[in-house]
Amino acid sequence: MIEKRLERMGVMTDRGKATAYGIVSLSLLLILWICATSLFQWIEPRVLPSPAQVIKQFAWILTEPFSGLRLPGHILSSLERWGWGVLTAGFIGIPVGVFFAWNPWFKTFVNPVFELIHFIPPFAYIPLAVLWFGASTATQAMVVFVAAFPSIVINSQLGVAQVEKIYIDAARVFGAGQLRTLWRVVLPAAAPSIYTGLRIAISNGWMALVGAELVVGKVGLGFMIAQGQENASVATIFVGIITIGCLGVLIDTLVQRSERFVLPWRKVAS
Amino acid sequence: MEQSAGKMTSGITDPAPESPAKLELCNISKWFGPEGEGVHAVDDCSIEVKKGEFIVVVGPSGCGKSTLMTVGAGLEEPTHGEVLVDGKPAGPPGPTRSVVFQKFALFPSETVEQNIKFGLQMTGVSATEQETRLAEQLKIMGLEQFRRSYPSELSGGMQQRVAIARALVMQPEILLMDEPFGALDAQTRTILQEEVQRLHREMHYTVLFITHSVEEAVYLGDRVVVMTRRPGRIKRVIDLPRDVAWKTGDIELAAEHPEFIEFRREIWGLVREEIVSI
Repeated sequence: MIEKRLERMGVMTDRGKATAYGIVSLSLLLILWICATSLFQWIEPRVLPSPAQVIKQFAWILTEPFSGLRLPGHILSSLERWGWGVLTAGFIGIPVGVFFAWNPWFKTFVNPVFELIHFIPPFAYIPLAVLWFGASTATQAMVVFVAAFPSIVINSQLGVAQVEKIYIDAARVFGAGQLRTLWRVVLPAAAPSIYTGLRIAISNGWMALVGAELVVGKVGLGFMIAQGQENASVATIFVGIITIGCLGVLIDTLVQRSERFVLPWRKVAS
Repeated sequence: MEQSAGKMTSGITDPAPESPAKLELCNISKWFGPEGEGVHAVDDCSIEVKKGEFIVVVGPSGCGKSTLMTVGAGLEEPTHGEVLVDGKPAGPPGPTRSVVFQKFALFPSETVEQNIKFGLQMTGVSATEQETRLAEQLKIMGLEQFRRSYPSELSGGMQQRVAIARALVMQPEILLMDEPFGALDAQTRTILQEEVQRLHREMHYTVLFITHSVEEAVYLGDRVVVMTRRPGRIKRVIDLPRDVAWKTGDIELAAEHPEFIEFRREIWGLVREEIVSI
């Protein structure tokens, strides 16, 4: 109904539509939540806190340290571990994927190992990471790395393998050697796929991070949630969950937006 | 190879019959896959392109004419035979042999000017020289206002102009064109055919041009090589008149000239035999 009216007013674009739907569905969820808690008390506060309680707790954690750090502190330490893990996975994974595609013999040789590794869930590495690095940033970063690495390698490799031969032929005709062909022709052509790999890696890494933080560490959003459980503070758990969700959306949006600056020639095609 | 000097030779004015061979394909055979088992694309083809000559290869689709081009460019090794440039083995692909591909093959991540300068940068041409030659090509091909556009922003005809500019900017000794207008609409094709005709006439490029269009062959070629169906062999080589008025004008006018009609009929007859007998 709202949509129809807006359409008649001529302000409704496709993107506007998507945003409007998003706002409507999120508002409905919020209304349902308010009904279930503050308004009609369908659900007990110790099971599901009301939005008001969560906002209060949110404000509290923003100003008062919780388990040693305020909320921004927890966020920053989570982002730091996640950043290290994803960056390392990118720096190693992209060249490895490109190398795989550029040298098919190498792929045949290493692929069995890789196939095996990529079926091991990242969380299975937590005990190993703890043994190797103790309770340091490196421990969670390693779990993030493990979660992020395969999608980067696979998508980089796919991207390079899918570059049409005619571009490589053209580069050869105009005098480019292997390295310059790779840099100027193959990598840009593979970039959209590499980007997809990074986006998957970023979200996989984010999920693995929270998992790792639940188990080890003394700071971070996952740890905050675990502390909420220890102190029987459901509101704290919700603050953690909502923050994690919002940060995830924010990061993904930023990465998506950055694509048009990093790959300017794509804005026309899309 | 059967050299035809039949009834069509009357009226030929070969400007430089003695000029040396620039590009020679000598007894080229090409198998994809193991010899005797795989696909036999080309069988014992020999083509000699003299300096400044425009040779057109026509044949039914799938006859291996594009293979001949990739072998000529050095992109594929022939199974038998060899490619010579100025009488010496041609070696790997390089800027002396520029290629215009059917599907343009412009680098999508680079702007028009980056695409045109690509080969100059790869071969170490000085920056000032790069700019001079770029400006010249943009002017010749009428691309000045598109210099900062990406290929995806251009029409097919404009993209092929960029591809031609990218080949010509190298000042190549030999220009290889693989059905360059096959992917274009009829009007754009006509305009570009006339432009290529003009460029050849003014700059005397040595060209090996692949097409399945008989009209294009008669209008552009100094000589036309007709190929058989796969495995492609050379069926006939036909010398066309050079420097006659109808070849310098518009293609529609040329197509009405009795001489053009006669050649088109003969060549089409040869090509048709290969299609019908499949």
